[in-house]
Amino acid sequence: MWRYAVRRLLWIIPVLLGVSLVTFLLMHAVPGGPWDQEKPLAPQVVQNLNRRYGLDRPIWQQYGMFLARALRGDLGVSYSYQDRGVTQIILSGLPITASLGALAFAFAVVAGLGLGMAAAIKQNTPVDYLSVLFATSFASIPGFVLGIFLLILFSATLHWLPTGGWGSWKQLVMPVLALGALPAAYTARITRASMLEVLNQDYVRTARAKGLPEVAIQYRHVLKNALIPVLTVLGPYLAFLVTGSFIVESLFSVPGVGRLFVQGVFARDYGLIMGSVLFYAAAIALLNLAVDLLYAVVDPRIKYA
Amino acid sequence: MFKRVLAFVSLLALVAVSCGGAAATPTPTATRAAAPAPTLAPTAAAAPAAQPTPTATRAPAPTPTAAAAALAAVQVYRVNLAGEPETIDPNKAHFASEISVAKQLFDGMFSFNQDLTVRPVLAEAIPTVANGGISADGLTYTIKLRPGVKWSDGKDVTAEDIVYSVKRMLDPATAGQYTTFYYSLKGAEELNKEKDAGKVPALKDALGVRALDARTVQFTLRQPDPIFLNLLALWPVYPIRRDVVERYGDKWTEAGNLIGNGPFLLKEWAHQDHITLERSPNYWGRPAKLQRIVVKMVTDVNAELAAYKNNELDVSRVPPGTEKATLDDPVLGKEIVRFPELVTFAFQFNNTVPPFDNKPLRQAITTAIDRDSFINKVRNGVGRPATSWIPPGMPGFDPDLGSQYKLNPARAKELLAQAGFPEGRGLPPLKFQYADTAGNKVIAEFLQANMKDHLGINIVLEPTEPRAFSALITQKKHTWALLGWGADYPDPDNWLPELFGSGKPANRTNYTSPAFDDLVKRAKAELDEKKRLDLWKQAHKVLIDDAPLAPIFYRERFFLRKPWVQDMRTTGMDGQLSGDFFLAELYIAQH
Repeated sequence: MWRYAVRRLLWIIPVLLGVSLVTFLLMHAVPGGPWDQEKPLAPQVVQNLNRRYGLDRPIWQQYGMFLARALRGDLGVSYSYQDRGVTQIILSGLPITASLGALAFAFAVVAGLGLGMAAAIKQNTPVDYLSVLFATSFASIPGFVLGIFLLILFSATLHWLPTGGWGSWKQLVMPVLALGALPAAYTARITRASMLEVLNQDYVRTARAKGLPEVAIQYRHVLKNALIPVLTVLGPYLAFLVTGSFIVESLFSVPGVGRLFVQGVFARDYGLIMGSVLFYAAAIALLNLAVDLLYAVVDPRIKYA
Repeated sequence: MFKRVLAFVSLLALVAVSCGGAAATPTPTATRAAAPAPTLAPTAAAAPAAQPTPTATRAPAPTPTAAAAALAAVQVYRVNLAGEPETIDPNKAHFASEISVAKQLFDGMFSFNQDLTVRPVLAEAIPTVANGGISADGLTYTIKLRPGVKWSDGKDVTAEDIVYSVKRMLDPATAGQYTTFYYSLKGAEELNKEKDAGKVPALKDALGVRALDARTVQFTLRQPDPIFLNLLALWPVYPIRRDVVERYGDKWTEAGNLIGNGPFLLKEWAHQDHITLERSPNYWGRPAKLQRIVVKMVTDVNAELAAYKNNELDVSRVPPGTEKATLDDPVLGKEIVRFPELVTFAFQFNNTVPPFDNKPLRQAITTAIDRDSFINKVRNGVGRPATSWIPPGMPGFDPDLGSQYKLNPARAKELLAQAGFPEGRGLPPLKFQYADTAGNKVIAEFLQANMKDHLGINIVLEPTEPRAFSALITQKKHTWALLGWGADYPDPDNWLPELFGSGKPANRTNYTSPAFDDLVKRAKAELDEKKRLDLWKQAHKVLIDDAPLAPIFYRERFFLRKPWVQDMRTTGMDGQLSGDFFLAELYIAQH
């Protein structure tokens, strides 16, 4: 397993190289550059900016310079936030996005697993119907609609929660809900389906026949075996949540990294685009690896050689 | 380790299920947790460090003090900048949001009055030929600074601080974006265009700005520039502390590093979240009434309005298209503030691309636009119909100019026939480009309908991603496009020569007119103010008669303001923050 992990880790290097090259080429191929602003800049000003940011050099040289710096852990300069480096920008937003994502993930897991299991155990009762209703509705409401709805309800009308920002637990409630509702709904559905399947297995009947306490049956025999399909969806969700969401972060003014990539693309901020893409690629690759390794932990039948 | 975490989570879920039983859903709901304490102003809660000064919480009915009966006990003003400023370095700032912040942190030699005339700030007086501040040939400006002006750390502001700032701004390595404005300064263009860093120090020494003594700074121009005082009132030449810049490099604008000389201090800059400005105790002038300004960075306008309704912001924009609903709202309708801005929108033709090289055709199109119904129906009455380029409130505005372009379908059809396309016959399909935003789409569709209704011609709309659109315009590859322009300084000089002069890089209409160019040349050299403005008026008329662009409307600012915000003084040139020239006078009334 360790050899497998190391091999996968080494594979990340060529993946990142490929991602960075494709991004770099696409980025320069898109019409409009960082200096094409609404109020056009004088040619002399553009020339000075190009020189300052190295955009007057041949394109292969620019890529080379980026790589050389990235190897030293420096993702270069931001073209729009002129006085700040990309590494600094990402690092200042990362803890915020990651904690928001982790909370939303925890919410999704707790609510999703809880609802799904409750629904499966109490199949065809009001608990089940409620849970399915929840899962279906939240799986079909997009985050920005839910977000605006929460804003109108809890802030503009009831005045219970602040509309946005970062720092207190009150500011967390709405973004966590808006971000976690969809994964929670999916998790609930998959947990329910998967539990129902396992509940009908022979070994569960055997366990019941043995007279094991119900909690032990549910926990040790049912849940553990029902978890593998759940884990398959939770892995990508974890990656999705901790890398942040443009919509939720913008709506609730969360100063995280989820907004950076989209902002970077709109502003043609070459530095920010390259930096955030590389960061996302690395984060997703690592999280996927973690999920794959986790399979082996949950299911002893899975072995990596 | 993973295993344990997972086990814990699933155990939690199990507990939840077994506790839930037949009762309601076992999920921890947000409502229950959030129920208590409906505080009205959690703004200050966002700041991690607890400050000894009172927070933004609106105390219930504070007892009025004898000194200022109308003033609320807590003078905190909460505004939204609609995004993180890219830089607040005065030498580099170029967006309205950045300039709004820089204005609070720095005082320049001059600024503007509410009527947009220049007022001395650090300077003792407005220099004139009569008081010896300007030499008779108009080439030398000698500016005496007020005594006793301090930086926020208590040091004196000196002429050297201004000299340093001007030289740094024009240094090509700074890559400032307003440098070309200052090319009338002797040696400025040479310095700003220098590619060899080794030659820059010598060019800086030769630049036409020097400190005669600690309180006197002198500018030498290469040619007379009648609007030079306006330029000295802008942010790029605010004084800057050399020792601070050299000590911290690019990080000199961070809170804790930045030293300014304005009415407010940079207390905190939580990037992408908020900036906190605090009243400066060392301010040379009358201290600000506000104790603190909290500048949020809410990017979504719906979220901004929700924050306003939740009493987290004292002013807010409204989402585009909801102006009518806002006016009709019983509460919000009373909190609306509107004022005209120095901003004009027009449809600009690419005058060298057929069929737009045809003047009667351009005039026909310009005459076929129903500006009144545009303002009333499309913009909900916000803004003012425009038939000329220079907006009201600016010197050089002429209310009668362009009256021949008021909607007149019969005349428009006549002009179309004159252009060689009777009833639109023989006219190639007209393409109209615009940056693809919700607001622009409405404008473009309005134009399309007008051309169909009044001229019977079809136009093809070409929405383009905003940056790609800007690139298209810069490369002059457009045929017909939307143009908006806002004033940098209140003078026709900012509206005509660069945008419409023959061969100028910023001339996106490719308009050429020897008569216009000649008037521009004379106006730029004319030192007599009355004659100068008359020349600009003539140039403006030549331009409008030739119809290289079809003006549509002058923009109006429309926003909400809480009733307790007092003494906001706005101008047509305000940055992102309304009233940003005079925020030191604004205060919060007791409420």
